[in-house]
Amino acid sequence: MNIVVAMKQIPDLQQIRIRNRQPVLDNVPLTMGDIDKNALEAGVNLRDEHGGKVIVLSAGNEDVEDTVKEALAAGADEAFLVIDDSLDGAESGTIANVLATSVKQIEEPSLILFGEGSGDNYSGQVGSRVAEILNLPQVSFASSIEIKENQAVVTRVLEDGDEIVQVDLPAVVSVLANINEPRIPSVTQILKAGRKPMEVLELGELKVDAGKDLVITESNLAPETERKKVVVKSVDELIQALTTEGYVGR
Amino acid sequence: MEKFDVIVVGAGLAGLAAAYTLAQEGMEVLVIEKGDYPGAKNVTGGRLYVNPVRELFPDLWEKAPLERFITKEGVSIMAGERSLNLEYYGNELNQEPYQSYSILRAKFDRWFGRQTERKGAMLVSKSRVDDLVIENDQVVGVWAGGEELRADVVIACDGALSLLAEKAGLREPGNPRDYAVGFKEVIELDPDRIEERFGLEGNEGAARLFMGEVTRGKFGGGFLYTNKDSLSLGIVVGIKDLMEGSPAIQAPILLDEFKQRPEIAGLIKDGESVEYSAHVIPEGGLKAIGKLYGNGILLAGDAAGLAMNIGVTVRGMEYALASGYYAAQAVLQAKEKEDFSANGLAEYEKLLNDSFVIKDFAAFKEAPTVLDSPRFFKHYPELLGNIMKDVYEVPAGPKDRLYPSIKKHLTFKEMWSMVGDVRKVMKI
Amino acid sequence: MSELGGLKAKLGLDVFKHDSEPHIRIKPGMEKDPRLKAAVLVCPAGLYAENAGGEVELTIDGCLECGTCRIACGTEVLEWNYPSGGAGVQFRFG
Repeated sequence: MNIVVAMKQIPDLQQIRIRNRQPVLDNVPLTMGDIDKNALEAGVNLRDEHGGKVIVLSAGNEDVEDTVKEALAAGADEAFLVIDDSLDGAESGTIANVLATSVKQIEEPSLILFGEGSGDNYSGQVGSRVAEILNLPQVSFASSIEIKENQAVVTRVLEDGDEIVQVDLPAVVSVLANINEPRIPSVTQILKAGRKPMEVLELGELKVDAGKDLVITESNLAPETERKKVVVKSVDELIQALTTEGYVGR
Repeated sequence: MEKFDVIVVGAGLAGLAAAYTLAQEGMEVLVIEKGDYPGAKNVTGGRLYVNPVRELFPDLWEKAPLERFITKEGVSIMAGERSLNLEYYGNELNQEPYQSYSILRAKFDRWFGRQTERKGAMLVSKSRVDDLVIENDQVVGVWAGGEELRADVVIACDGALSLLAEKAGLREPGNPRDYAVGFKEVIELDPDRIEERFGLEGNEGAARLFMGEVTRGKFGGGFLYTNKDSLSLGIVVGIKDLMEGSPAIQAPILLDEFKQRPEIAGLIKDGESVEYSAHVIPEGGLKAIGKLYGNGILLAGDAAGLAMNIGVTVRGMEYALASGYYAAQAVLQAKEKEDFSANGLAEYEKLLNDSFVIKDFAAFKEAPTVLDSPRFFKHYPELLGNIMKDVYEVPAGPKDRLYPSIKKHLTFKEMWSMVGDVRKVMKI
Repeated sequence: MSELGGLKAKLGLDVFKHDSEPHIRIKPGMEKDPRLKAAVLVCPAGLYAENAGGEVELTIDGCLECGTCRIACGTEVLEWNYPSGGAGVQFRFG
């Protein structure tokens, strides 16, 4: 049983500083998103139980060749990468198209695993979009996955309780962070990661319809406003100022 | 089980220098680093002298992410409310190849790590080495994350505390007398402002050291280095002096007071602190350096105690780079004979002794003893401050002649003890 | 003793990654050992403090792993190790 695990390369969020209200991304190390590690761990455990291979799939700039080693160290068998500078920070629709097209090139994937949302934006769209494009069933918010015959039995965590879903394979499943505790790779595993098979495609080689550009209609960033400043030197002045401003008294 | 020619513990300057040199010669080298990336745990005050190590790594410097080349050297003697500044500018400092650069280690070491990997070394970060594997009194590998990794030789470059040197029985936990602690802030500041405030052009940089009141008269001093778009401002102070109190002061307060001094406040104005870091510095000098190698193990860099404080400069990074390089050379020679015992690795000591590293330590072997006197850090700064005050003061009434105003401070007793101190200083 | 108030904000500038257990511990029964009092003065992060009962307490959050306390107090009173791989302070400038 081949299991595909999608990985998004994201900046190490703890390393980002804010300067002039903008994140500083220079020199911030890139890493595999935390929740993707949960998806990978789930995949690796299922492989250990049922055999087959775990193929980690990612699309991004060329640094992803390095970042994917984290996944290979943590148990993935192979990597399938699509590389292009334009994929760095590309919108969900584009990435979903690229990933879906890539999945078609992977030999008989039974299960395609995603983190419920990416570690940086958490828009939680790519998994669903890939399922739609490939016309596969999708189960989201998974807190456990079991494979029985040609079906997956997935526990979904919903607001008012758990739901157990049985779904035919192949299927897309997106997992929650609490599904497992990802392993910490050993030195040997990290070393071996560099020697695992890696298929690297340029975006141009993939023949993909990248889809429409994202249209941003609104920014929810609060506008910067100049606050009124009143300096007082005594309690009396403070009371006076608050009264003038209409906050106390009357 | 994985077996390597060499395992280097710690991706600092010594470790990377060793791995870079060994990998270049085709050795199979594994570097293990506990931080997220090389440099994540590494701290410097701020300046690397390239001259002594330029030729050891000829391909390294052209693209190295160094900050500014230092063209202005300054010393400030600080008394309670006054200070005396001395600035040196020499044409030779402004000519290539530049003698020294300010440096930020997280940036530099990460880059150096990549160069080391390009030479063929394997670098594994986020992994802590917990212990040595010792068989028949010979170090044959390390334990990391519950896993045994083997090598002909382990080069321990695990920093000033070197827990591995202790585990190898090469030395005991450090003595406060032989160590200082450095702590600093990196303060982001517009390059234009840096250049304006320090009188610099382009990529020129300034280095300043501060003595006296900054450490409340304790062994040590303050430092300031200009980086590309930040300042490194900090304090180095002897741990023994800090512990003994008199006056008792918590280390972090020294830096806060330093920042508030008018001489400093103007230089860092409108700057934004972006990091606070600290590290111990070995500075016990030659006599504090213990055994640098054993069966299957070599120590390099701070782990070997190779840092030095001679009052006007605190140096360590050149010694780290060079000792890493010579450790690698020693391993290459041991490899030819396939003898990795202490005997086979003994060449390391010879190489170091013949290099600028131990020659510097021998030349400055008296420095720690001589400078271990409160007179240098407390009495003289006050004295100088008071003399300067009188020299520059124009009172309401008539001003005293210069000579008597100075002489007033230089009593016979004062002069006599000065002669004693000068004789001591002449040993440096 | 002066204010160490600004120190929290300073340490807040740094990146710290979570570790599963504290990497430095005061050895049990050593809390009142005079050797520990040095740590209160030397720690650049101000993580050691003496409580009203004369015991020295250590807060490990914000540890810069500088090693000063190990040098000053010694290994008889402190159990001292580095944090596990990928944990603890991660300097961005250094």
